[in-house]
Amino acid sequence: MLNSFGLLGMFLIIAILVTAAFVLIPIALRLVGLGARRNPNTDKYTIYECGMVSVGKTHIQFNFRYYFFAVLFVAFDVLAIFLFPWALWMGNAGVFELGAAVLLVVIVLIGYLYAWKKGVMQWK
Amino acid sequence: MAVDIAFWILAAIAVVSAVAVVTLRDVFRAAIFLILCFFTTAGIFVTLNADFLAAMQVLVYIGAVAILLIFAILFTRDVQQGNPSNKLKVPAAIVGVVLLGVMVSSAVTFGWPESVYLPELADTADIGQRLFSENGYVVPVQIAGLMLLAAAIGAIVLMREK
Amino acid sequence: MSYYLIAPQITVAGFAVAVIMLDLFVKQKRLLPIVSVVGLLGGLGASIALWGQTETGFTNVLSVDRLAIFFSVIFCGAAALVVLASRDYVRNNFSRFEGEYYALIMLSVVGMMFLAAARDLIAIYVSLELVGISLYILAAFGRDGKSSEAGLKYLLLGGVASAVLIYGMAVVFGITGQTSLAGIYQAVAAAGLGLDNGMLLLGVVFIIAGFGFKIASIPFQMWVPDVYEGAPTTVTAFLSVASKAAGFVVLIRIFLEAFGQDLAIVSGWAMIFAVLAVLSMTIGNVAAIVQTNIKRMLGYSSIAQAGYLMVGLAAVSKTIGAGVTDPEVLFGPTGLLFYIGCYGFANLGVFIAVIAISNKIKSDSIADYAGIGHRAPVIALAMSICLVSLIGLPPAAGFLAKFYLFNTAVHHGLTWLVVIAVLNTAISAYYYFRVVKVAWFGTSTSQEAVPSGWGLRFALGISVAGVLVLFFYPSGVLDIARSAAEAVSGIALSAP
Repeated sequence: MLNSFGLLGMFLIIAILVTAAFVLIPIALRLVGLGARRNPNTDKYTIYECGMVSVGKTHIQFNFRYYFFAVLFVAFDVLAIFLFPWALWMGNAGVFELGAAVLLVVIVLIGYLYAWKKGVMQWK
Repeated sequence: MAVDIAFWILAAIAVVSAVAVVTLRDVFRAAIFLILCFFTTAGIFVTLNADFLAAMQVLVYIGAVAILLIFAILFTRDVQQGNPSNKLKVPAAIVGVVLLGVMVSSAVTFGWPESVYLPELADTADIGQRLFSENGYVVPVQIAGLMLLAAAIGAIVLMREK
Repeated sequence: MSYYLIAPQITVAGFAVAVIMLDLFVKQKRLLPIVSVVGLLGGLGASIALWGQTETGFTNVLSVDRLAIFFSVIFCGAAALVVLASRDYVRNNFSRFEGEYYALIMLSVVGMMFLAAARDLIAIYVSLELVGISLYILAAFGRDGKSSEAGLKYLLLGGVASAVLIYGMAVVFGITGQTSLAGIYQAVAAAGLGLDNGMLLLGVVFIIAGFGFKIASIPFQMWVPDVYEGAPTTVTAFLSVASKAAGFVVLIRIFLEAFGQDLAIVSGWAMIFAVLAVLSMTIGNVAAIVQTNIKRMLGYSSIAQAGYLMVGLAAVSKTIGAGVTDPEVLFGPTGLLFYIGCYGFANLGVFIAVIAISNKIKSDSIADYAGIGHRAPVIALAMSICLVSLIGLPPAAGFLAKFYLFNTAVHHGLTWLVVIAVLNTAISAYYYFRVVKVAWFGTSTSQEAVPSGWGLRFALGISVAGVLVLFFYPSGVLDIARSAAEAVSGIALSAP
């Protein structure tokens, strides 16, 4: 059955491989570590490559302003879902369908305009 | 056959990761397992030839919902303490198991009718036609647009300093 | 396609966008409530103008029949009254978000009007979410922690209810292969399914659970007291009338249009509603007695009122499927529609009075209402009339509403249910009268008058007038309710 859905099959293979990687990589790392000799010292635990030794807790509370961007991103992500099948079909679509999609975009853009005018995009 | 094997692998991983989401005490790891659960669900959609749903699953659930969830974890303090303990664990488990039993037993015993239509080939363009054409769901799509507008306004209202 | 049929929705949505734009680009905030009321009255007028039309349009997705129009008028009217009454409250409590407040109320009205017209599970679900999201945000508008808690609680429990509902819809779709209500009707009839089939029962129960949340029926009522107390009072007023009516219109439509095949299936789900009605009435009324906060009390009272309303859904068995066309036998949903109209006026009246009083005394405790009768005689009198209507005593519309509804139920052989409902009415008299007693015979610590704006007074006047007019001249509205209820039952009867 998958033969008739080449691209889908590719996606399926990727899906399986990614999930397998999620599960197998930690196991593989553990296995690799089993046979290794361990003689740790402070240098081995310093940050590799670049950067500084962190001061204080690394698990800090992030600035909540990121939240606005996340929310707007979700709104447009959902909009993209509606536009994706529409775009695939657009070749056969008439003026009505174009208008419907434009109306949808305009409605969501009002929310964007609102956010813009309210200064959400500014980092004060 | 290959599809069946793929389905069972994906389904098993999906269930295991879903259990991990609710049992792990570290919220961040729970979020990561939620992503795994979403991804396997997308894979299951592929085995059912539902390519549009699979794409949606990846785009929205992994691309947006999981990101939002991880953002939310980053905004909180003291996430290391993990999930607060739940006093109602046992009654909730009983209710959950009973509900699952009822749902599974009625789904298994029910003689599902065979659809008279041939299974349609997964075609995202057809979905576009259904959604936007005059005889389709063009009005509900616009309602969904209004819903996004309300959600965007509301999210901003709720987060601004009161 | 006949897009003039959704003119009311388009009007209100357009004005909602206009309010957002005015809020962004015009400094003069005084315009906002005026524009909102104009938009809502425009929607109301457009709905009334559609009453006579014969076309119902939109293939199987939407159907603008008389039932939809009846409820559109209720939604627009209730929202207009709430907006009129909320100017001072909004100024005092969340003046920074005036525009957003009015816009979200109007967007939820748009969702409710689409909900009333939706004839397809997808359209129903999307409209329900538009209503839900707007209301979750509105519940969290207040500045205090209680309001945030109310919003969060409403959102979380509402999300669970939505999930249950969509699962039920998925089950029904899985059985029938159809999302349109007419298609479900035919598929269920063709397969000869009944509620003794576990899967269909599961779907039906899940759908009732999802909407039981909206109408605040017992066992899905746990959000009501906290949300009613914590949400801004204007939002509570809107929730208690419009959101409940929206839940009922969908229940009427789904169950009459999709599950009205024969007497067996109809009496099956009618019995579910009868049991839920008994539970809601009894638990709601008993719990209301011990409340000390008026908003919590009205919350439990609204649970009990949902119970009375469900009597109307239980009293359908003789009208559908069995082919009884005896005009003497009233149709349960007719009584339900009339009751919703009376309940809407009375409950809005009480809440508008509560808004006016809380603007002054900054408290929702019933004990603080002592002596309000002397400080604000007009407002207290209006509130008393509306409370009397909620009990169901003359000379208020609630009496006739209960009379018609219970009379119908007796005709449908539900005497036991009516006996329980009447007993509950007696219980409810205790806590409603307690507020009246405290207001008129309590001694107040202050003698200051309670001020009120013209908009609030006007809205209160309309509510009281509605309560009285529906008592003295019920026939016109009753005819409209009958015509609206039969619009939907007609579809069920004529389908093959």
